[in-house]
Amino acid sequence: MALKFHADDLVENPTPRVPVTLCLDTSGSMMGEKVRELVKGVNLFYDAIDEDDDAHDSAEVSIVEFNSSASLIQDFASIENLKRIESIDASGGTALGEGVNLALDTLEQRKMIYSNAGVLYYQPWLVLMTDGQPNGRPEELKRAIDRVTEMVAQKKLTVFPIGIGADADMTVLARFSPNRDPLRLRGLSFKEFFEWLSKSVSRVSRSTPGDEVKLDLNGLRGWAEL
Amino acid sequence: MDSQVRLMEAEIVPPESFVAVDHRLFIDTNVFMDTDPVRSAGLKKLFERCKDAAIGNANGIVVPSKVIDELIWQSGLDTSAFPDDRAAAVERAGKWLEVLKELAAHRVVRNDLGDGSNPYADDLFVGLFSHFGGRYNMCLLTNDITLRLRIRLLAVSTGHRLVAGTVRGDGQIVLDDEKSLYDRAVWKLTRINRNIDEGLAKPKDRKELAFLTSLLDEFKRALPVAALDTGSVPKQGDKLMAGGSPRRSSGFKRVTTLKPKDQLLPDTAIPGAGDRVFIETANSRVALQLGGLLGEGGEGSVYAMDGVESQVVKIFDKDHRTTHRKAKIELLLERALRAEGIGFPTGLITNADGAFVGYSMPKASGKELQATIMRPARFRRVYPNWTKADLVDVCISFLEKVEYLHSLNILLGDINPKNLMVDEHKDVWIIDADSWQVEGYPCPVGTAMFTASSITGDYANSLRTVEEERFAVATMLFMILITGQFPYARAGADGGDFATLIREGKFAFQFQGVSNRDQPEGNWKFMWSHLTPPVKRLFWNTFQKEGGSRYDRRPTASEWLAVFREYRSFFGSAHDFDPMSNDVYPIRLKAFRPDTPIRDCPGCGRKNAIAGKSNDDGASYYVPPLCYGCEKTKLPCADCGKSKSADQLKDGLCSDCRPIPCNDCGKQTRKPELQYGRCPACVKKGTELDPNRLCSDCRQPFITYDHKHWFTSKGLDIPKSHLAIKKACPTGAFAPQSARTARNTTGAPRPASATTAPGLWARLVKWFS
Repeated sequence: MALKFHADDLVENPTPRVPVTLCLDTSGSMMGEKVRELVKGVNLFYDAIDEDDDAHDSAEVSIVEFNSSASLIQDFASIENLKRIESIDASGGTALGEGVNLALDTLEQRKMIYSNAGVLYYQPWLVLMTDGQPNGRPEELKRAIDRVTEMVAQKKLTVFPIGIGADADMTVLARFSPNRDPLRLRGLSFKEFFEWLSKSVSRVSRSTPGDEVKLDLNGLRGWAEL
Repeated sequence: MDSQVRLMEAEIVPPESFVAVDHRLFIDTNVFMDTDPVRSAGLKKLFERCKDAAIGNANGIVVPSKVIDELIWQSGLDTSAFPDDRAAAVERAGKWLEVLKELAAHRVVRNDLGDGSNPYADDLFVGLFSHFGGRYNMCLLTNDITLRLRIRLLAVSTGHRLVAGTVRGDGQIVLDDEKSLYDRAVWKLTRINRNIDEGLAKPKDRKELAFLTSLLDEFKRALPVAALDTGSVPKQGDKLMAGGSPRRSSGFKRVTTLKPKDQLLPDTAIPGAGDRVFIETANSRVALQLGGLLGEGGEGSVYAMDGVESQVVKIFDKDHRTTHRKAKIELLLERALRAEGIGFPTGLITNADGAFVGYSMPKASGKELQATIMRPARFRRVYPNWTKADLVDVCISFLEKVEYLHSLNILLGDINPKNLMVDEHKDVWIIDADSWQVEGYPCPVGTAMFTASSITGDYANSLRTVEEERFAVATMLFMILITGQFPYARAGADGGDFATLIREGKFAFQFQGVSNRDQPEGNWKFMWSHLTPPVKRLFWNTFQKEGGSRYDRRPTASEWLAVFREYRSFFGSAHDFDPMSNDVYPIRLKAFRPDTPIRDCPGCGRKNAIAGKSNDDGASYYVPPLCYGCEKTKLPCADCGKSKSADQLKDGLCSDCRPIPCNDCGKQTRKPELQYGRCPACVKKGTELDPNRLCSDCRQPFITYDHKHWFTSKGLDIPKSHLAIKKACPTGAFAPQSARTARNTTGAPRPASATTAPGLWARLVKWFS
């Protein structure tokens, strides 16, 4: 029955979707305050989507975590079907490339499901958050960077690379985002970031001056350093 | 100025004040027949609020006998051929009649007043009000705008407290502000005018037209129509709304050259809630205070206008205070255009320094289409009782406004479900006048799904054509009827590229046998199926690039209007034979002929859920056993994979795959494997020879378990030899006599026939060896 409900939810809602995939660093260095604040931020993101009329019907969120390996902890789902996160254990290494690749694979699958059913969607978003240096397999990292930059170039992906704290490798993050500098989170202001993110999801369906996705980047200045 | 502002406000009156001594409250027929859930709930509350005072003051609410007569006549009508809403109105009439009887018995209502001398209830009320106006303060509850206008005029000419209004949800009475009263009457007039032009008018429409025209003239003379209004009454047959000023009565100039690039205006203070601003019209400048913030958009914020209920103010943010916007608003203001449902600017708003910061406009009623009709889940919650006919009314309301704006050479530009509002009366409001395209000022924004493929996407630096706007109009109509589905949604296509979907022009919904393989999943195809052929044809021809005859020559708003009006009249007509035609969300395809068998579904019990499918012979029908939904919710059996309806499965298994015990050994076995209730092992065993039972002649096993069982089940003795069961003893199979003798001699006495046989066999064996 659960399966059936999901399928109906997908085809009975004609609103074009905004797939948002959160690719989150849960390596050992995230342990403690950082990961707790991150979990709070994600749950707040869910709340904000739930409360916003437009985001409620359009957002679909998935979460990939990466530490010594990558795993999908939330497959794409509408807000009604998203499970709240109680806690995340942070331990191990930083397989960033593996994480991004899994996130992109999940996204491709979702797009396939949309297309088979005739469901419309807006340009997907990838939010990449890390507090350190990638130390997974170098070829995976390279493949991830190539995939992301190509999709961005084709306007098939909007990427938000976010560095957490002073140790985040901003150079690697920059390689994921050729057009826009990565952002470094000021302190642990996840809350502000996710609030901004949900507002931006809501904004996607609005009228725009051109065919560009409208992102209110000014809104980012308050919490991030450029 | 003050008095004019005051006139613009709607007034809320507690109904009980009109059952006080020296007051009288009357109710018109249409109020009892109103099917609007808010107002009908309000009417009940009104009676509750009034009952004690009415009884105490011996001053019941007056429902004249004329009204009672009308209700009796209405409630006696045969509604079987009526559209749903009309039938519902008639039903209300019947219910209220009962209630009124009760209320009259308790003296809350007086229904015994009046005589048959006046054939029209309207005239009766006006007569009563003019006759008794000097003696009582009187109030009439009526939904008829003409009648409300007449009472207002009467009040002005006599100076008495005579009012007419409508009931709202909490039972209080709303008295229209003069401007909206006037606007509504103008709108009604325009509607009648258009019906007459298009040959749809009834005789009484012509009468009403003449009457209402003179009434509006009188209204203009008698009342200083609110400060913001400078319109004049449209002439007969003039399709334009109130307004066309004498100087320039036709539309705006048709301009095909773009104005010089838009520029930001020099910075100035942007006012906010509570700030003092000025509203400027042709010859006045009035101070007012911005009320509370009502909403924020991409270009600015909308505020209430303090003290003026019917107007709101849009203040641009500093990045959107531009030369184009200012010029556009001024241009629109020149004509002083007014129309119910269109957010024409009513005044230029300036700050304390006299700088342009925004404009005022009438307050739109209702909610964004985006938040209502475009989302099935929400739509079902917000307007649960709406039918397809109601959606057609919404389309008509939208088209009437578009047609009018186009007649003025105004393009809406950015048509999208956030710029359109719809209220519970199915009236559409068009807002965002500052983004319209007029006289070379472009519409600087757009929405991908409504953008014709000929538009490059650089909205601000090119002018759109009316042909391009018609794409947006057609898309909007489709998305209203199919509640949010995009016409180019298509299974198997990348749904992430709207521009390509539009450019490819592949319309996946089935039309006259054209393939429907790519229709998007879900029940959209049923919604499409039930549209009438003319509506489908026009959509298909507009959206389908290959073969669509109107793909390059899209229908005008007027053309769509004709088609949708025809659709509206289809409901309840003789051609409307499918009981599901008026459902917003039908659950099956349309029945194609009146003789199509239609059944309730035995699976889910839903009414009319199954329609027969025409057989190849074209004359007979195949009626599926279950409705589409039940058929679809069939699940595969976990074992064999065959699809079965939910009630046919137990533990995920169909009856075939559900194990049942073997009759013989009791082992759990799948049904198809059982033979006469026995598992394969028992079946196999049955065909084997019983080794313990030997032929009396050859001393070999000779009878199978099954065969043995057959004799015992018949109550017969089990035969003793091959011969006895018409079989021959196997050659060379004679066992040494000695080994078996003992046992056999203890056996039952041999039948006579058996005794001869071994001799024969023995001889033969001997002979062979």
